[in-house]
Amino acid sequence: MSTTKLKVVGKPTPKLDAGVRVSGKAVYGCDVNLPGMLFGAVLRAKFPCADIVAVDVSKAASLPGVACVITADSVDTNNISHKRDHPILKKGEVSCLRDEIAAVAATSREIAQKALSLIKVKYRVKEGIFDPFRALEPSAPQINRYGRNSFSNKNIAEEFHYEHGDLEGEKNRSACRIKRRYFLPRVTHCCLATSNITADYSPTERRLTLYSSTQVPFLYQRDMAHALKLEPSNIRVIQVTIGGGFGSKLDMYPFEPIAAILSMKTGRPVQIVYDRREEFLASPTRQMMVIDLMTGADTEGRFTFREVDIILDNGAYTSWGATTPFVMMQTFSSLYRVPACKFAARAVYTNNPYAGSMRGYGNPQATFALERNIDVMAREIGIDRAEIRLINANFPGEVTGQGLTYRTCGHRQALQTVIEKSGYGKTRDRQSGARRYKRGMGFASMLHVAGGAKIYRSDGCGTTVKLDAFGYLTVITGSNEIGQGSETVLAMIASEELGIGLDKIRVINSDTDIKPWDVGVHASRTSFVAGNSLLGAVGKLKEILSPKAAALLKTGVSDLVYEDEYIRSMTTGERIKLDKVVREIHFQKPNELCIANHFYEPNSELQDKEYRGNVSSAFAFGSQAVEVEVDTCTGNVRVLDVYVAQDVGRVLNPLGLQGQIEGGVVMGLGHALMEELIVENGRVLNPDFHNYKLPTASDVPNIRFYPVETLDQEGPYGAKGVGEAPLVPTPAAIANAVSDALGVEISSLPLTPENILKAIVEKHGI
Amino acid sequence: MEFEVKSPGTRSELLSAIIKTRTGFRFGAGYTDLIPELRKNGSPVRTIINLARLNDKRFTAITVTKRGIRIGALVTAARLADDPTIREYLPVLAQATSDMASPQIRQVATIGGNLCTASPAGDGACALMALEAECELLNSRNQARTITLASFFLGPRKTALERDELLQSVFVPANSGVRLFSGFIKVGTRRSMECSVVSLAYHVQTDSSGNVVHSGIAIGSAAPVIRFAHSACSLLLGKNLETMTVQDAGRFAQNVLEHASPISDLRASAWYRRQVLFNISKALFSERQGAAETNGSYEGKAHELH
Ligand SMILES: Cc1cc2nc3c(=O)[nH]c(=O)nc-3n(C[C@H](O)[C@H](O)[C@H](O)COP(=O)(O)OP(=O)(O)OC[C@H]3O[C@@H](n4cnc5c(N)ncnc54)[C@H](O)[C@@H]3O)c2cc1C
Repeated sequence: MSTTKLKVVGKPTPKLDAGVRVSGKAVYGCDVNLPGMLFGAVLRAKFPCADIVAVDVSKAASLPGVACVITADSVDTNNISHKRDHPILKKGEVSCLRDEIAAVAATSREIAQKALSLIKVKYRVKEGIFDPFRALEPSAPQINRYGRNSFSNKNIAEEFHYEHGDLEGEKNRSACRIKRRYFLPRVTHCCLATSNITADYSPTERRLTLYSSTQVPFLYQRDMAHALKLEPSNIRVIQVTIGGGFGSKLDMYPFEPIAAILSMKTGRPVQIVYDRREEFLASPTRQMMVIDLMTGADTEGRFTFREVDIILDNGAYTSWGATTPFVMMQTFSSLYRVPACKFAARAVYTNNPYAGSMRGYGNPQATFALERNIDVMAREIGIDRAEIRLINANFPGEVTGQGLTYRTCGHRQALQTVIEKSGYGKTRDRQSGARRYKRGMGFASMLHVAGGAKIYRSDGCGTTVKLDAFGYLTVITGSNEIGQGSETVLAMIASEELGIGLDKIRVINSDTDIKPWDVGVHASRTSFVAGNSLLGAVGKLKEILSPKAAALLKTGVSDLVYEDEYIRSMTTGERIKLDKVVREIHFQKPNELCIANHFYEPNSELQDKEYRGNVSSAFAFGSQAVEVEVDTCTGNVRVLDVYVAQDVGRVLNPLGLQGQIEGGVVMGLGHALMEELIVENGRVLNPDFHNYKLPTASDVPNIRFYPVETLDQEGPYGAKGVGEAPLVPTPAAIANAVSDALGVEISSLPLTPENILKAIVEKHGI
Repeated sequence: MEFEVKSPGTRSELLSAIIKTRTGFRFGAGYTDLIPELRKNGSPVRTIINLARLNDKRFTAITVTKRGIRIGALVTAARLADDPTIREYLPVLAQATSDMASPQIRQVATIGGNLCTASPAGDGACALMALEAECELLNSRNQARTITLASFFLGPRKTALERDELLQSVFVPANSGVRLFSGFIKVGTRRSMECSVVSLAYHVQTDSSGNVVHSGIAIGSAAPVIRFAHSACSLLLGKNLETMTVQDAGRFAQNVLEHASPISDLRASAWYRRQVLFNISKALFSERQGAAETNGSYEGKAHELH
């Protein structure tokens, strides 16, 4: 890998699949149409907490067009979720409104829906528990009786404790201690393509093929096999084009094995596609949480300690989302320098809809609390808000209390960039007393894993490269594309290294029968891990190509360069076409293939029981400055400008990167200002885009992006992961800006006009 | 959702379609309210009489006469927002329709549908209320009757339309002043695709020296129906817009508020609706000089009549 003069990497490159996507030719889950396919539908609970007294499916089963009806009694399955606390079909009781009681397969969607309406369920309604604090009381009944629970309370699904430093000592020497409670709402992914699966079981081959939009095909294959009591390798997972992931496809949900069971029972393909309402009701959300945070600083504004206690509303079943404290803990222990930290988090079962994982994985919430507290501390100590952040910024070479090792670190540079570019300090005069529109500026930073995250035994990725006799390259990667643009980056890397045009490179990444192992798309890892894996494979391919080319060009292998589809001798200038070299290797003794395999395992560590260890091969840092204007008549917040500086290691594809930044900021803006899945007594009150407010194009501010390139030695060409990061500091920075504009404290999201107006009225009266 | 669609092309086809379709039918124009409604209620509608293909000037034209401006029920929001006559003489309506929904929706959403849906949040309807519009209704026997918009709305989603009646057009009487202070303020969470949390339509006409000779103020999403704020209008009468004081503005806002009886729902509490209605009403006059642009509204802009 030479990084001296890059020809492809670093150049704006449209996504490889841009054409099929914009022309409507991409095959999304709902476009899959197999011969003889049936349509599945799921009957969900009517009450969030009830005993099921009886289920009568006889009318549904005899409806013409219905091929199959299943209930818990007609299936033999294992529970799903990493805690195995989630039955696929519920028996005896329901614990949230999403609960699957029965499912049907029919010849049309309409008949399937009609069949659902004919199923009679008799309930004995019980009082549910919808407040996680109430669930922790000793008198509360056990909400989920499946989980293996070794925690301090029967309703705890996951519990985390972490500590470093001398907490009491640091507390005592602090000049200022700030304690606040923060409330973070449920928001949800709002993927344009709703949840979908097409299951195709072949009774003759006893093989199950799943057309799925999972982010983690190999874990999915294993989980599905466990759920259905099948052999993993008899399950083939084919990824369809994914219309939005954002973490929602990290877990497998009951509808997926349900489709498989319906297909196995009928011997026909079965498709389940949610409509938008079902998507809101029955797909995961970000964790709702309450964060109690105490932080301290000395007289110079140096941070001394952080003490955090978090309650997450887990909902009735556990998903990977319950492990978000793992990421939040990093932010509290290691974003800005802090000598002591004590962190506790509990994910608590309730009868609410269950949470899942979502882009940023707890980090937007943690960062919100932390960065709000920093603003309050700055005011208390009398230090400038930009200054206090610079004083405490992370630095290259730092090993944090938790053992995170920052080989490269662009935190300070990112902060300086946004402070300077935003014109902070120069815009103060715009604030004048009695005006209706008030402006404010806010800052926030973030820390996120950016070189994978070793939370599974392997965080690795395999790659096979095949160069054919016509000079075309096929990259078979274990990683997958969920819209983030990684397959384009992989093609760019291969193109850079081998001098082959992008039009002659194919990336194959969607079929578990073909591709090698990879842990999946999460933790902003794909370009980093799959990129390194590809570089390894390309290196091995060159070990096959170069000796032959050197012999043909009568020179040594170190004299060769790969460019413009030729291999050239630097000394003689003579060159030979790549495809000719391949043919020479194929068709002349000893007749070899131009194929190479490589498995890359990042050098990160699994953390120990105390959560210490360098969990990622690289870390991303970023800072944002946000300017807002608040209408004090209505409480409307308008975000005017967002300045983003992010340590991305190296820019691989500027176009793809810009897309990630803009998308992330807008997602963060929605979280900050308007998004909330409103749940009352276990019921979702706004399961539609009418009342679940997503920002529209007209809410999008100016987004100015300044990449910080720190060239991390571990990353491909020095690059780090970027996917989740841009969303992480945005809600915090917006909240800080609004607080600055109005001089009010902000401790919860979203900052709806009503919440803002309330704060104004409380402060100033009417 | 399954139903038969009849698409009359002429007035007589329309009338006979109504007569022949005895039960369970609905009119459809742009369908931006109807389809979501049917989907939500799983309504037993069997036939839709589709007005979108109707080629009849009474339904489709904007006509200007000495007496005023007649707007066919099938005129779309996009057309109203762009129409030079509407923009010049009825800025409140141009603005209300240009702030509606999104470009795609405005392209098909009709003013007739906006009225017949009888939503308290209807933006076009709120503007027309401020304009003191009249509704021209047509029945299956080809008879027309005219009623005021205020008497057209009976309650949320309830209109004075008889079973065999439909809205043909709305009529806005000609302006009597020579200068206009006319606009629409829409309050919501986001800047487009938003259903008004509260709205205020104002169409204030003055003589050449700025004395109010006629005014129309209406409020949306603040009561079960869109309300005409009589007492706020009376307060303005005879006042000079250039010399109104902050106290006048406060009194005006208080008078607007008298007409509000908002509910709390998912989108906002009654408290917020009242508070905001007061604030924006007050700001309308206390901030008139050099007022900043708000949410794309062009409040503060006076329109000269020719
Ligand atoms: C995403 C979205 C955003 C929206 N945003 C806004 C907004 O910002 N502001 C706003 O005011 N509205 C908004 N709406 C509501 C809707 O677009 C408007 O009310 C629109 O004007 C309705 O017109 P239509 O032609 O689509 O009516 P339709 O849906 O065709 O009809 C609506 C109702 O009126 C009846 N009807 C229609 N025409 C006649 C007639 N001539 N005579 C008798 N009855 C008739 C129908 O039977 C039906 O009951 C929005 C809707 C959507 C889906």
